[in-house]
Amino acid sequence: MSGEVVYEIKNASKRYGSVIALDGASLKIHAGEVVGLVGDNGAGKSTLVKVLSGAHQPDGGQMFLDGKEVRWDSPRQALESGVETLYQDSGLAPHLTVSQNVFLGREITVGGILGKLGFLNKKKMNHDAHRDLEAVGIAVPASSRAVSQLSGGQRQAVAIGRAVAWAKKVIILDEPTNHLGARQANEVLNIIRNAKAKGLGVIFISHTLPHVLEVTDRIVVLRLGRIVKDAPTSEFTGDTLIGTITGTIQTIKVEGD
Amino acid sequence: MTDSKQASAFKEQSPLRAKISSLLSNQSVVLLITLVVLGTFFQWGSDGIFLQTGLLGTVLDEWGSYILLAVGQLFVVITGGIDLSVGSTVSLSSVVAGWFVVQQLKVGPEVTGADALPYVLLIAGICLVVGLLVGLLNAFLINKLKIVPFIATLATMGASNGIAVMISVGMPLQGPNDWELGAPWNIGGIELPISTMVFCAMFITTIVGLFLHKSRFGLYTYSLGSNAFATRGAGISVEKHITKVYMLSGGLAGLAGAYSYVRLGAGSNTSGMGMELYAIAAVVIGGASLMGGVGRIVGIALGTLVLFVVQSGLLTMTVVQVSPDLKQVIVAILIAAAVAVQTLQNKNGRK
Repeated sequence: MSGEVVYEIKNASKRYGSVIALDGASLKIHAGEVVGLVGDNGAGKSTLVKVLSGAHQPDGGQMFLDGKEVRWDSPRQALESGVETLYQDSGLAPHLTVSQNVFLGREITVGGILGKLGFLNKKKMNHDAHRDLEAVGIAVPASSRAVSQLSGGQRQAVAIGRAVAWAKKVIILDEPTNHLGARQANEVLNIIRNAKAKGLGVIFISHTLPHVLEVTDRIVVLRLGRIVKDAPTSEFTGDTLIGTITGTIQTIKVEGD
Repeated sequence: MTDSKQASAFKEQSPLRAKISSLLSNQSVVLLITLVVLGTFFQWGSDGIFLQTGLLGTVLDEWGSYILLAVGQLFVVITGGIDLSVGSTVSLSSVVAGWFVVQQLKVGPEVTGADALPYVLLIAGICLVVGLLVGLLNAFLINKLKIVPFIATLATMGASNGIAVMISVGMPLQGPNDWELGAPWNIGGIELPISTMVFCAMFITTIVGLFLHKSRFGLYTYSLGSNAFATRGAGISVEKHITKVYMLSGGLAGLAGAYSYVRLGAGSNTSGMGMELYAIAAVVIGGASLMGGVGRIVGIALGTLVLFVVQSGLLTMTVVQVSPDLKQVIVAILIAAAVAVQTLQNKNGRK
């Protein structure tokens, strides 16, 4: 079902002062696989996301992208290597248009000397943004509209669409269905399926366990900075998943795959 | 989330009402209407002297001396910051340039006309460099020492003022000047309300405005003020951009210092006193939001114009005598009105 291991983190640890946020976490993501990352508040999910996305550097451990060891000094490096991250509730700039958001950081400039001065090709970006979002299954009214004029669901769709459209290898989605209604959340889950079909490795972080059970192939449970369970989604039920997250079901530490 | 509610409320309006409210939510349209109303009112109130070329020339000359500050301030405000140091940068840059030319090169006010032109250009260059350096210092305080822009620029404001007094010993440094630069243009015997200096200010405003609205530099300025986190997430160096924006504001303040030098024929440590407050007022009246992410160059150009039309207009009133001391009160009322209009516009469905 899934392809090669596309992204791997081995034995990663991270401390903030005396707090151990991540304690020897190891994780593999295959191409075309959706991995659910779950855990209670403070379990280390955000820290793991920040390490994987290049926002923070781990204190110890290694990371491999397509089998090659990598080290991110900034999110930009991760982006350029094909790892896209959608952070919780903060993906878009509300005053900018849809296409400006889609192309932020990767603008298309006009030709000639004006292009060298950074003058933008708005028309092409509007057109391409519309096309790229449609390709990943998102129908946005007009890409020249300000994001602040969109509904919460539309905003989230644009944010995810942007990440899926640009991702070349891995996409990390931190709570993408937060604050969304049932129908909108379903649309987001469909976009995740699209990303999977595109052959991307998807890391899906969520508190909404039914969504996790519905869309993932594998679930990784974090507790107190450690990965306490890493198993195919079919092995979980809603109850055993909650039990594993809260610790009422005892687990032994798994050694990756 | 209240967005869906706002969106549906917007749809329920009749097309005409929606059209009017969308026009009125455009700050530039509101400002243009304001200017027409003010112009008519002052023309009536001054027995028809307000719209004469000479007076308009004075208004535009004032406009030119503030617009560069307002434009620089606009960029800073769009990023969600503020630059209080621009007024003292005007003083400092004109003083440094005056000091260099008068005391180092020993060229005095007896050099005028075309002979003075190379010196004026040199002075403009020095002013620009001084301004850029003040901007760089601001960026350093904000980026490296993590001081909030308000306090960081308050500190450089005090320091610049102090240094300007020290260099000038509190006296204007009179130097070479081409007074023609500030004189109204005369084309075919018709006097226009515009001088070379005003034209330069307009030209710079236009170029910088194109960069704000059409280029990557402008896009990053908006995105930074709109959502700094998302901007960083898109792989953009927020610190680098902040440095560029504060250097732009400082550089334009330096050029405003050169403008002030040409107006006075001297570098003076009081030439920029209080100008930062007018620049901020112009930006707010022009429709920018101090919360960041909002503001357009046309709005700021018109907002600055409203400010000086009101000031000059009041002083030319013959129907009632208006005390010059009332100026500041009027500016205060304008700011309050501008912010109130913005709040109303936001309530009308725009965020």
